[in-house]
Amino acid sequence: MSELVAFIAGHRAEFIARLGEHVILVFASTAIAAAIGIPLGIVAARRPSIAKPIVALANLAQTIPSLALFGFLIPLPFVGGIGTRTALAALTVYAVLPILRGTITGIQGVAAPVIECAVAMGLTPRQILRQVEWPLALPSIVSGLRVAVVIGVGTATIASAIGAGGLGDYIFRGLAMVDSTVILAGAVPAALLALVCDAALALAGRIADPRRRSTPAAAVLAVILIGSTVASVWASGLSGRRDVIVGSKNFTEQIVLGELVAQVMERQGVNVERRFNLGGTAIAHQALISGGIDAYVEYSGTSLTAIFNRPPSTDSSAVYAEIRDRYAALGVTALPRLGFNNTFAMLVRAEDAERMGLKTIGDLNRFAGAKAGFGYEFLERPDGFTGLSAAYGLRLAGQPRTMDLNLIYRAVAAREIDVTAGDATSGQIESQHLVVLDDDRHYFPVYDAVPLVRASVLLQHPTIGEALRRLDGVIAAAEMRRLNYAVDGEKQDPFQVVRAFLDKLGRF
Amino acid sequence: MASDIAVQFDGVSARRGGRRVLDDVSLSIRGGEIVALVGRSGSGKTTFLRLINRLMEPDAGEVIVGGRPAREWDPIELRRQTGYVIQDAGLFPHMTVASNIAIVPRLLSWADDRVQARVDELLAMVGLDPGTYRDRWPDQLSGGERQRVGLARALAADQKLLLMDEPFGALDPITKSELHGEFKRLQAALGRTVVLVTHDMAEAFMLADRIAVLSDGKLVACDTPAAVRASPDPRVAALVGPR
Repeated sequence: MSELVAFIAGHRAEFIARLGEHVILVFASTAIAAAIGIPLGIVAARRPSIAKPIVALANLAQTIPSLALFGFLIPLPFVGGIGTRTALAALTVYAVLPILRGTITGIQGVAAPVIECAVAMGLTPRQILRQVEWPLALPSIVSGLRVAVVIGVGTATIASAIGAGGLGDYIFRGLAMVDSTVILAGAVPAALLALVCDAALALAGRIADPRRRSTPAAAVLAVILIGSTVASVWASGLSGRRDVIVGSKNFTEQIVLGELVAQVMERQGVNVERRFNLGGTAIAHQALISGGIDAYVEYSGTSLTAIFNRPPSTDSSAVYAEIRDRYAALGVTALPRLGFNNTFAMLVRAEDAERMGLKTIGDLNRFAGAKAGFGYEFLERPDGFTGLSAAYGLRLAGQPRTMDLNLIYRAVAAREIDVTAGDATSGQIESQHLVVLDDDRHYFPVYDAVPLVRASVLLQHPTIGEALRRLDGVIAAAEMRRLNYAVDGEKQDPFQVVRAFLDKLGRF
Repeated sequence: MASDIAVQFDGVSARRGGRRVLDDVSLSIRGGEIVALVGRSGSGKTTFLRLINRLMEPDAGEVIVGGRPAREWDPIELRRQTGYVIQDAGLFPHMTVASNIAIVPRLLSWADDRVQARVDELLAMVGLDPGTYRDRWPDQLSGGERQRVGLARALAADQKLLLMDEPFGALDPITKSELHGEFKRLQAALGRTVVLVTHDMAEAFMLADRIAVLSDGKLVACDTPAAVRASPDPRVAALVGPR
């Protein structure tokens, strides 16, 4: 707990900015959903024939897993892309159903004799809606809003995966760094935020109830709403004017490399916004192409196969030359390679390797009953598991398990699985007492780290291009492992780790 | 004015959900008269009432209200001039007693002080102390009190025509007879035209100037209580009971 407080205190400005983004995401999406759901609910409440399909549709939308919905929205025009807009669209989709339901239930729940009297007394349909149905349905509508907000606070944490920021940044960063303090720095405030929002709306409901209409409560609510909105806008603007947005994918090395690129730029006097923890290669690439981010570090082999759909290759220079040309056609400059090859590494526990004399990937066939588990991408990619099995004639026990990339090292150490494919530069290899099996048949292609920057940004800020070129070959694999271990194993802050590295390098 | 025809039905038939619930009914109600509509459930009593303020439309014949065919009235205007009281009053649960009573005057844009004065006057008229009851909520009232407020609400804008659908139906016998007395007293003072739907023959005999008996959508009798009591028609006798 004290670690959590210390972490938040140490990242105060960033924390406030993330919190602000989170609040804005939730408020704005709930407001949009209310603007859609309440009128729709009023119409649907009068026509049960419409109400059924509408509620069914909203229900269906609710069942789409959030990450899938985010992914689904990215390629769409207007609402799509990377960042806040897409997140808002997805969060709105989720918020509509509870609001719609609350409205329909509230309006339909008004007693028939009350409506009959209203009509018989000569109220027009509009007057009935405003003076009778609306006030009587309001408690139900407010409870719909409460559900929407609480769902929104939770779902907005996932918005971080598409670069919308928010408290989810800490959760994903913490997962990547296997650091529960960082996870909690996102999760605990999010939970508190949900409670506070729920309480504020409960208060709103109390105020909306004509029986207990109270001015102090209304004043308190107004202060909460106005205060939090103003604070959020201020906080999200806290990052200040930014010239360049640097992204990263969602694992430790990517965060370190994102931090590296960001700090090199900052040392050139450029204002940098960080959009780290993007949820995968496709999202990061899409973000770079659409201008959601201006730079991130990709691995040459990943670009070649996963982005440009080319067959994998083991020729470092040829791969680099090919992707450099392909990126140039997309308006992206591939800067010189950083120096290390983060290829896949087949990992087993050191004790198993010693006991069974496992040295190469082929030796795995001597590991009877070995259970495998891999990250999502490794199972899907052409240069992943399928090719590997063929190349080495592997016969593993049963189907490999799919698991989060961040958990595979711990899963092996904890004996949940016996073999996995990790990053050759992972700091967790040492910290979890794992060893790398030799790829003696040269199956795995090269994955040289390559900083990618939008060409337009380099034109605008020529100094950062020069600065980044000075990173040419400065990080050997051992160095990268050390940096990763400093973050993963020693729980150091990536910002500090990178700063120390650059200071030591002394070129900036 | 008092002897004018307030409501007239000329060969009116009406359907509800495809079923004929009123069949060729002709009847005149004079101004200041209390007419009780009696009959079994489904005999068309409520339909009769709802045709008067255009909550329903006839599919044959003509309903004439205040000398004008109902279909020529703007329904909103017609309803604002017609008091309406239902079983358990139908008060708006989110409004105080005073606000409930003030609905129609407010719709008619009366000035605030006039509305306040009218509310207090009406509360006193229906036997409720304004100071005590003005700011109460409907769920803080007894059934009898709610019914009194419902009546006050129906009279608020000085409506000359009052439609009442089982207004005393949900009350215990003692409260009911108390309210019957109040109602007679009020009617003696105000002389409104009242169409009262009831399934309680004793109530009809006690309150009405004339009793209209509906049976399967047909008007089978419309006469003074004494004449109805003496009717040889088996459909009437079945309602009135022995003796």
